[in-house]
Amino acid sequence: MLCAVMTEKAGFRIGAEGVDVDAVAAQVEAAVAEKARRGAYDDPRLARARRADLLDLDSSEDLAAWYLDSLAEAARVDINDFEIHERRARFGRLLVAFKRLIWKMLRFYTYRLWSQQNQVNELLLAALETLERRSREKTADLEARLARLEGGAPPPCPPADE
Amino acid sequence: MPARGRIAFVAPRFAEGDTVGGAEILLRRQAERLAAGGRPVDFLATCARSHVTWANELPAGRRRAGNLDVELFPVDRDRDADAFRRALRAIGRGRWRAEHEQTWLRHGPRSEALCRRLAERASEYERVVVGPCPFALTVRAADVVPDRTVLVPCLHDEPFARLAAVRGMFARVRAVMFNTPAERDLAARLYGGGAPRRFVVGIGMAPFPVDPDAFRARHGLAAPYLIYSGRREPGKGTPLLLTYLAVFRARTGRDIGLVLTGAGPVDAPPDLARHVLDAGVLGEADKHAAMAGALAFCHPSRRESLGIVLLEAWLAGTPALVNGRGAVLREQCRRSRGGLWFRGYAEFEEALLTLADNPALRAALAEAGRRFVLRECAWERVEAALLSALAA
Repeated sequence: MLCAVMTEKAGFRIGAEGVDVDAVAAQVEAAVAEKARRGAYDDPRLARARRADLLDLDSSEDLAAWYLDSLAEAARVDINDFEIHERRARFGRLLVAFKRLIWKMLRFYTYRLWSQQNQVNELLLAALETLERRSREKTADLEARLARLEGGAPPPCPPADE
Repeated sequence: MPARGRIAFVAPRFAEGDTVGGAEILLRRQAERLAAGGRPVDFLATCARSHVTWANELPAGRRRAGNLDVELFPVDRDRDADAFRRALRAIGRGRWRAEHEQTWLRHGPRSEALCRRLAERASEYERVVVGPCPFALTVRAADVVPDRTVLVPCLHDEPFARLAAVRGMFARVRAVMFNTPAERDLAARLYGGGAPRRFVVGIGMAPFPVDPDAFRARHGLAAPYLIYSGRREPGKGTPLLLTYLAVFRARTGRDIGLVLTGAGPVDAPPDLARHVLDAGVLGEADKHAAMAGALAFCHPSRRESLGIVLLEAWLAGTPALVNGRGAVLREQCRRSRGGLWFRGYAEFEEALLTLADNPALRAALAEAGRRFVLRECAWERVEAALLSALAA
């Protein structure tokens, strides 16, 4: 029997029944949410993974929901969510201060473009969400109607000796 | 009707050698278990080995395989394979019309000779066990004596499960044997919770001895690795796993490799290719050794009704990491406490880092998984459920 121990890094509790995998999954989700807030997934290399997701979900009913979630995440652009860095050690602080100054000087112009882009993104997203919702409702109505017309009986399939 | 009458098992392929397929293995093991208990069992299948070409590669006729009487029949030659593939694609993408379904039934892999033999000998059979679900042959075989037919659907949440023919088959057969409660729940969602008689049976598994270092030493694997066993194809999620692992390595700098066993092409991204070992189709002992040496068994498929390889990995002492978008594997991990799951790349990365950094967590998950398999997949329990389903 396993004794109750805490693992070395993550603090998972391991008891006689094993690990509470829902709790670990919740920790994984929380870590992902925190990293997303910090912009850890704003990484062009993730485009490959998203393409793979799209192909994997191609025939799934989850596709539209997943796609709209991803779009919603990407559409609401926040241009203030990054820190200004400088990789060069020499004059690093000076260079960061210079970059901040440039950023402040261009902000009036950048904000205008950013605001317009966000408006377009939000409108497109809203339109797609509405179309998807209407299509889902219409499909559900049609399926319910079909079920009523069939009287609950499943449609026949061809006989074995056809 | 005899109390312990003859049983016919019908499957599109007979699981033997490199003809691998979870459903086929499941049906063969169930048939063998019944035969070992003294029940007369016939196993009827086609001469095909490939689920892609459906070419008649094996000789037709009767033979003995282990304790089973096996009879193989040719796949019909008059089918239009191109029309079938077009219909398959349309249905697989979830955009099909009634004519696609008719084409799928008419030109899918089927064997009139098999159905004819089944009909000729129908009076001898107390029960006819047919499966898995999404094959024209299964639909037709289930129609021969539906009131004595027990369906093993191996149901996945996929467009094929929504075909009218499949729905009709569920309504007509005498009983249905599911592999997991999650699969039974999926059927209830798709077809309603009423008749026919429904049982969760699954597959029996026996523990096996395994050396976790043997495979690693034989192949000179220094870095930790994930393993996946089974068919390598988009439907099983292998392209997703290859892409995720390539991105994982690039983003985290962690040296984690991948071992693949089973059949099918491996199209690894160039930056991952030299970290992938394609071991091909292995014998059971080698496969279990490969599983035992892995950091985790990764099952990237969304569409599983059981995941026999997942159960084997747990028996080999390896934790699981599964695609959480599929209800069955996620619920298996939840019920067993034997693995973690991911829904998208970010969770894959985080879960894999969690597993890689926590050996105690890995050991606890593996131990819980092993206990789950020994408890839930004990042959005594499975056989009792199997006999109940056949007697219903």
